[in-house]
Amino acid sequence: MLRLRVGFLLIAMVLSVFAARLVQLQGIDPREYAQMAADEGSVTAVLPAERGRILDRNGLPLADSVDGLMVVANPSVTGPNAPGLATLLSKRLDVDYFETLRRLRIPEGAEGHQFQYIARKVPATRATNVLEEAEARGWKGLDTREDPVRFYPGKDVAANLVGFLGTPYEDGSARPLAGLEAAFNRYLSGVDGEATYQVSKGSRLPLGDTTITPARDGNDLITTIDQDLQWKAQQVLRQTVLGARADSGYAVVLERSTGDVLALADYPTYDASSPYDPSVPAGEADANHNSRALTDVYEPGSVEKVLTLSGLIDAGKVTSRTKFEVPGALHRQDRTIHDYFEHGTIRLTLAGILAKSSNIGTVMAADKFDRGQLRRYLTGFGLGERTNVGLGGETRGLLPSGAMWTSQTADRIAFGQSLSVNALQMAAAVNTIANGGVRVSPSIIRGEATADDGRVVGTDTATERRVVSEDAARQTALMMERVIDPEAGVAPRAAVPGYRVAGKTGTAQRVGEGCGCYDGTFTVSFAGFAPADDPEFTIYIVVQNPRNGQGGGSVAGPAFSTLMGYTLRRYGIPPTGARPSQLPVEW
Amino acid sequence: MSSAPQRRTAFSRVVPLADEAMARARLSVVPRTRPRAHRVPFVTLVSVILLGGVIGLLLFNTSMQQAAITASRLEEQAQTLSARQQGLSMELDQMSSAQNLALKACGLGMVGASSAAFLDLDTGQVRGEPVAAVAGPCGVAAPAPQPPAPRVETIPPPSRSGGAASTGRDQGERLGDRGTDPRRNRSGAPSDGGGGGRR
Repeated sequence: MLRLRVGFLLIAMVLSVFAARLVQLQGIDPREYAQMAADEGSVTAVLPAERGRILDRNGLPLADSVDGLMVVANPSVTGPNAPGLATLLSKRLDVDYFETLRRLRIPEGAEGHQFQYIARKVPATRATNVLEEAEARGWKGLDTREDPVRFYPGKDVAANLVGFLGTPYEDGSARPLAGLEAAFNRYLSGVDGEATYQVSKGSRLPLGDTTITPARDGNDLITTIDQDLQWKAQQVLRQTVLGARADSGYAVVLERSTGDVLALADYPTYDASSPYDPSVPAGEADANHNSRALTDVYEPGSVEKVLTLSGLIDAGKVTSRTKFEVPGALHRQDRTIHDYFEHGTIRLTLAGILAKSSNIGTVMAADKFDRGQLRRYLTGFGLGERTNVGLGGETRGLLPSGAMWTSQTADRIAFGQSLSVNALQMAAAVNTIANGGVRVSPSIIRGEATADDGRVVGTDTATERRVVSEDAARQTALMMERVIDPEAGVAPRAAVPGYRVAGKTGTAQRVGEGCGCYDGTFTVSFAGFAPADDPEFTIYIVVQNPRNGQGGGSVAGPAFSTLMGYTLRRYGIPPTGARPSQLPVEW
Repeated sequence: MSSAPQRRTAFSRVVPLADEAMARARLSVVPRTRPRAHRVPFVTLVSVILLGGVIGLLLFNTSMQQAAITASRLEEQAQTLSARQQGLSMELDQMSSAQNLALKACGLGMVGASSAAFLDLDTGQVRGEPVAAVAGPCGVAAPAPQPPAPRVETIPPPSRSGGAASTGRDQGERLGDRGTDPRRNRSGAPSDGGGGGRR
């Protein structure tokens, strides 16, 4: 009897211990234990999401991703075979022999004795081939790891827009350093996935538990850029800038009706596949990585007269035939205004003022504006407001307001000084005239995409607003045609044979970086559209600080002609065949 | 006690019947008629099933392993192939990039059109001005060396004979700009100009 009781007691005690343990396992911290069980013999691998491509408007890649590997070495193993390995690696992976040799035999006790990078971002096939070869010769100690390669087939084509990726962060995520790569990093990146599976002695269990969270690849970013046209624009711009011994330049090609940026070239630029060219000083390299067309501010000069005069016509103050007696110099409150050419009193129509680019005539015409009217028009044209195409670092430009807008300032603003713009802003403003007075906001992204700053941009979100009447725009276009006329105008070299072209030159004084005053250097530019009577494209070319002593007509004009000719041919736009504008310029 | 004789009489009456019935109804152990099933086939069957199961499981497992190995081999192959495909398409993209095409086309003697003319099929009119294309230098397409080229000015080390050879060319070029033949200006220099320094 006693034995039985003792037995029961023992069993009860053991069972209570079990029960307590059960409560502990299931009730108190079940997750931790489940986790521990899962960790035991299971392996988690990251499934990297593929970064989206950046495409041009025809689907050609401007930036693409390829599976890549990094080759790493364990110097404690590679030491004995270092010379042979270094020879192989330097030959096959284009790495420096001596540096590789040093890395392969980091002595014991030194830092990095177990792990050294040999080459990064090697296309997967090349890396595995090298490893196989090394293994075949009995050289051990090399290994590979995931290291996706981002490549830019166009090299410097659209590099100013696309940007590039730097060395990835520690966790393997991309480090975008410029351009669209940086502005749309989240959109392009996607989300990494994860695979957990059970392993035993290093090999995967075929029937083991496997959980896979698939990676969500990044989105492709489609731009409005036409790769071939972009290339041509960069070519033309480079030749122009170098030919004029200038500092820099920008070229913008817009599709008139949609505001699509077909090409946006900057010079100097860089090769996106090797962004840190050792021959370029570091400070300059950083500046090259931006699109100067968006980040640089400058005074537009006479190109802006197009906006002033179209505003005047729209306001009903003048017509393209209104007559002006233009004196040789105009004395205003604080200073005398001159034209770039010496003349006595000449008799010009409004068209003549534009064709000859007379500052005095423009100021006289602008006097007819009511108070604040010019500023309203300029704001309407989009000056002083970011284009927000989706690239970071864009400048707003400078349109004086309030107390800054004095009558002296207004005089200078009327012919394009004392206000600052960026090149895309100005191109969109001139495009407004080409587009019958309706400003279309320019776009660089096709469809729509969300930038990292949360803004949704793209052609789908493009807006339109009427700035001047259709008639005012038409009259302005006819006046702009006279600029190209060999006799009436100042820029015959901007003509495109066979086509009617409307345009305007600009030569503006530049504000020096140091002094905040005009330093005697110039910005020369040309903006125009063709065919003038049914415009398809607007092109704007700007050259900063040319040293060959020429103005907008002779520096930027020929570049405009070449690029416009190419664009019209490329898109198969036939000449309209109509007679060019014959507006009188003198009376 | 009075019922005993009665019972007895009754019993005695029944006896002849009972004897007969008793004789008929007596139970006896009936010998087993169903033959005992043979153990051997059953055991064999069970063993076969068991063995079959074990072997089947083993084979299944082996084939699973085999399949897993094949799968991972194929996966690896797919990975290699897709890597190669990506590599090739990368090469293709590079080759078909605008710059490269322009350079190659120019190398083949192709010339970019300088102006286009359009033939109107309805009227038979030519619109635009057809102009013959003019060949330009191919270098335009190539990333040209940028004119404000880095100027390398090598200052000859004061007393080293080896260094003089390498600077000889720079000097020669600078002198050459002034219209003099560099070779004549350098006493004792080899006749192939800077050749000595280029090694």
